[in-house]
This record gives sequence, structure tokens and C-alpha cells, in this order.
Amino acid sequence: MASAGSGDEKAAAAAMITLISSDNEKFEVTEATATLSQTIRHMIEDGCTDGGVPLPNVTSKILARVIEYCKKHATAAAGEEGSSSSFSDAAFLEVDRAFLEELEEFDDAFLEVDRATLFDLILAANYLDIKGLLNLTCQKVADSVKGKTPEQIREMYNIVNDLTPEEEAEIRRETQWAFE
Amino acid sequence: MASPGTSSSPPSRSLPHGTPAASNAGVLPADVLFDVLLRLPAKEICRLRAVCRAWRSLTVDHLFASPHAARHPLFLASFRDDRAHICVVDLCGTVVKRIPNAEGHQLLHTRLDLACVATARYGCRVLNPATGSVEILPERPADDHLNRDNFRKPNTSFAFGRIATTGEYKVLRIFDRLSLHGFNEQQLFEVLTIQGASSSSSGRAQWRARQSHDRFVEASSAIVVGEVVYFKVDRLYDARILAGINTSIKPDNIISFDLEREEWKGVLRGPIADIFFTDEYDDHLEDYCFLWPELTLADLRGSLSLVLYRKSRRIMDLWVLKDFDTGLWVKEYVIQIELNFPTTEWRVRSLFMLEDGRIGIHFPKTGLVFIYDPRTNTYVQMGRRHLEAVAMYTGNLLSLQVGDMV
Repeated sequence: MASAGSGDEKAAAAAMITLISSDNEKFEVTEATATLSQTIRHMIEDGCTDGGVPLPNVTSKILARVIEYCKKHATAAAGEEGSSSSFSDAAFLEVDRAFLEELEEFDDAFLEVDRATLFDLILAANYLDIKGLLNLTCQKVADSVKGKTPEQIREMYNIVNDLTPEEEAEIRRETQWAFE
Repeated sequence: MASPGTSSSPPSRSLPHGTPAASNAGVLPADVLFDVLLRLPAKEICRLRAVCRAWRSLTVDHLFASPHAARHPLFLASFRDDRAHICVVDLCGTVVKRIPNAEGHQLLHTRLDLACVATARYGCRVLNPATGSVEILPERPADDHLNRDNFRKPNTSFAFGRIATTGEYKVLRIFDRLSLHGFNEQQLFEVLTIQGASSSSSGRAQWRARQSHDRFVEASSAIVVGEVVYFKVDRLYDARILAGINTSIKPDNIISFDLEREEWKGVLRGPIADIFFTDEYDDHLEDYCFLWPELTLADLRGSLSLVLYRKSRRIMDLWVLKDFDTGLWVKEYVIQIELNFPTTEWRVRSLFMLEDGRIGIHFPKTGLVFIYDPRTNTYVQMGRRHLEAVAMYTGNLLSLQVGDMV
């Protein structure tokens, strides 16, 4: 990986993976970055990544964002491993804390996207099985739904109301406490 | 998710950019929508059922309701500034639902899908927070108790539990002795069975007199663990211990009543009195005098726990009963008493444990609740309001419509 020490460069260079987006763009990433995706991790384990990994469900625009996320979080994971042995060391804890804060800031900024991109990211995270990214993006959608009326949600997400007026009245009556 | 292989064909994932979604399944795949909705509190979910059919059917399914309940633990709370309601609250103390409790009955500390509220003057009700149904238990005592003094000047306490084998709920009602020093009086005990959902049958339910114990119990200390009601010994004995009157009773003795068989079990020895003056217990002689009031009984996810709040040492010990018959106790937690805790508190009112191992601590004077995480050794306060009582709620606010909405 990029931030690894110079002694690891050979090993890191050997462990590069090529990801190919749906529009045929190629992305070179380290194995540490790529294996944040469980889907890709399994492919690597099965030894079927030679010649690149085609990702027909992910556009280059979204894949670039996903890789950006994975790079940042792969560095974080490596940092955590490195410092775990000196857990009691206050200085290291301080570094950890600063790093976690930085990571949180990164995540917040990362989510500053329009809804279509957010949904594309969710679908990519789901397809690539990247737990952290899926968690982050789903929480963002959940937060956006909080406190909204059914009408507002239909509007936001272009959902057609297929409940009959009677059914809707029934739901509102039964869960009246939820509308108070 | 359906684990995609390299050869999986691209699913139709065109997202609506201003155009209505082609399918009413929403714009997200069902499993992702599931994941998103799982993050929302119960109240939001119930409101979102009115969005469309797909959202409704997803959220009324028990496959959704169970993981949702596991993820959003709920509690029953009686707030000091709103005695007229029992509230279902989440971990942050946010009110999810309010249930009328017009006469301001006291909420019992339980871990069930029903709430039990009661008064010191006979009265007891069982509330179902999911449906809002209320069951008023008869005030009339068991026939054997009708002419007893305890009934004429009542001071009642209650315990509420569920019998696993039958699914029945039972209430134990205790008529306490009348005077503080009434050594030759009696405490009266009676049991009433609640049949379940059909309230018509319990309309006829009667209190059944049960034998008194030959020792006095501290009626207000009752905690139900599984099918057993545990009590501390009465403060009367504590007064005698303090006065130096030699009794065989120790301040940490525990008296227990089997709710299923409706009979008393043996007196359990606590873990502390025996080791009090030994090296194992680093304490001063005078602390022994304060032992009894510092003890609280608790249900730690199905195990009886004895909580000792040693403020002078800034430590709270949690002993857990491992085996009733051999009286084996293990001190599982030694918790630092946090400087942020109110200084006026010298004991714990109730203590409970969440599924993930976090421990809730409710203080009697301020009514504040703190959630302690043993893994990180950190505390968070559960809301800002003051609680008269708190209980764990194991029911599910989402599942009530399953039968009705097809």
C-alpha cells in the first residue's frame, strides 16, 4: 500500500490489483485497498484476479469514489494494527484519536454528494460487499428519512403511493401514536 | 445480499433522476432498503408504513421486527414530570410512545413485554405497551385475608413475572406489616394469574392466599428473575443487627418465592456477610452497619445479581448468583463509581443489563439513569429527565399489526 515503509515496496508492488469499471476504465489499487471489498477478497483467494477484475455494475465515476474511500480506510486499518501493541501508550492513543477524528471528517465530506450518487455508492458497496461503506451510506439515507411524513418521503424518493385511501387510513388509525 | 460472481449480469439499477421509479419496491433493492429501515426507531417505522405497500409489507414482517427490536432496545419509563403516562423510551431516553397511566400508579421494575403499575393501596394494573390494552386487577383480597388488619390499613407491594412453561403472567401482592416494629404481626401474600390476551377470563380472576414466610421480607426490594421473586430481608432485622441484637440473620440474606409453584424457597446466603471481616473484603467495621441499605437486587439478563454500592470506596460490586442450591456467587463486575454521578446518591434504585452487556444504573434520589459500558469503562446518561422508575421492555412495537394488516 501507498503508505507502507520502503522495505515493503516490493511486496506491495507485487500485490497490485486492476479493477475494471463498466465503462472499461482501469484502476490500479493495492491488495490492502481492494480487499476492503469482501467480493474482491474472495476473488483474490480463489486466484481469479489475473488480467484484472471486471466490475460490470460499477461506473468509473462511482468506482473512483469507492476506491477513494477504500484507500483512506485501508490506511486506517493498517494504522490501527500498527499501534495496537502499544495500546497503553498515551501518545499512541492520542495519535489514534486524532486519526479517528480525521477519518470521521473524511466520511462526512465523502457523503456530501447528490442523492443519485449516494444511491450509486450504496449499490456499489452492496455489490462489492464493503461493510463500512454500506453502513455509512445506509445511515445517511436513514437520517434523511427521519422525521419526514409519508408524503415527503414519496416526494423525495419518487415512490408511487399504491395503498388505497382505506388502507392508508387504516394504517394511520392503527399506528396513530406514530403520527402524533 | 445475493453474492455476485464475476459473471453476474448487471441488475437493472437505473436510478430515478426526476422520473418516477418504475417499481414500487422503492428505488433501493429490498435488502438495502431493509438495512436502511432497520436503522430507524420504531415510531418512524410505523409512520413509514403509510408510504407504500412494499414498505408496509417489509416492516410488518417478523423477519424485520425481531432484528429491529434487537437493534433498538426499549425501556418503560415513568418520568417524574409526567406521572400520568408510562413511556416507552429508547436508549437516549427519547420517548417513542406514551401510554396513559391516569392515576399515576408506580411502575414496577420488570423485564417483560408487559408493564405492571401499582399503588400502595391494593391497586394494580397490567398494561400492554404495544396494543395499549389495560387490565385492572381486582382490589378485593383473597378470602382468607378479608378480615385481616393488613387489609384494613393497606401498604401493598407487588411483583410481576411470567411463567415460561405456561406463558401465564402472575402477580404477587404483599400486604406489609402495619407498624415499623411489628414483630408479632404478619405479612400477607397472595397470587393472581393473568391468563394472557383474553381479558374476559381475568375479569373473574381472584387473588389466592399463599403462606407467609416465617421471616419478614423487604417488600419493596422485590425483583423477579425468571420465575422467582427475590427479596432482601426486612429492615426490621437490619435495625436489630445494628442494635447488636444477635440474630442468625445477615443483612445480605435473600428470601425467595417461586412464582410458578407459588411457594417459598430456602433462604439464600448472600456473598458478603461471610467474608466481611476477612482479607478478601477490604472494609472497615463500621461499613457493616451500612451494608443493608447499600444492597440492591437486580436481574442481570436472567441471573440474580446483588449490587453493593460502596460510595465511601467509590466502587460498586456486582455479585452474580451462579447456583441457587449451592449458593455460589461470583463477583463479576467491580465498577468504579464515576465522579459524574450525583453525590447525593448512596445506593442504586435498580440496575439492568442490555443484550450487548452494557449496564443501566438508576439512582433513586435524582432519578437519573446512566448506561455503563464495561468494555470501554465509559458512561452515558440516558436522557436528561428524571425517572421515578424504569423497566426493560422486551415486547415489540412493530409486530402488533401483523395479525390485522394482510
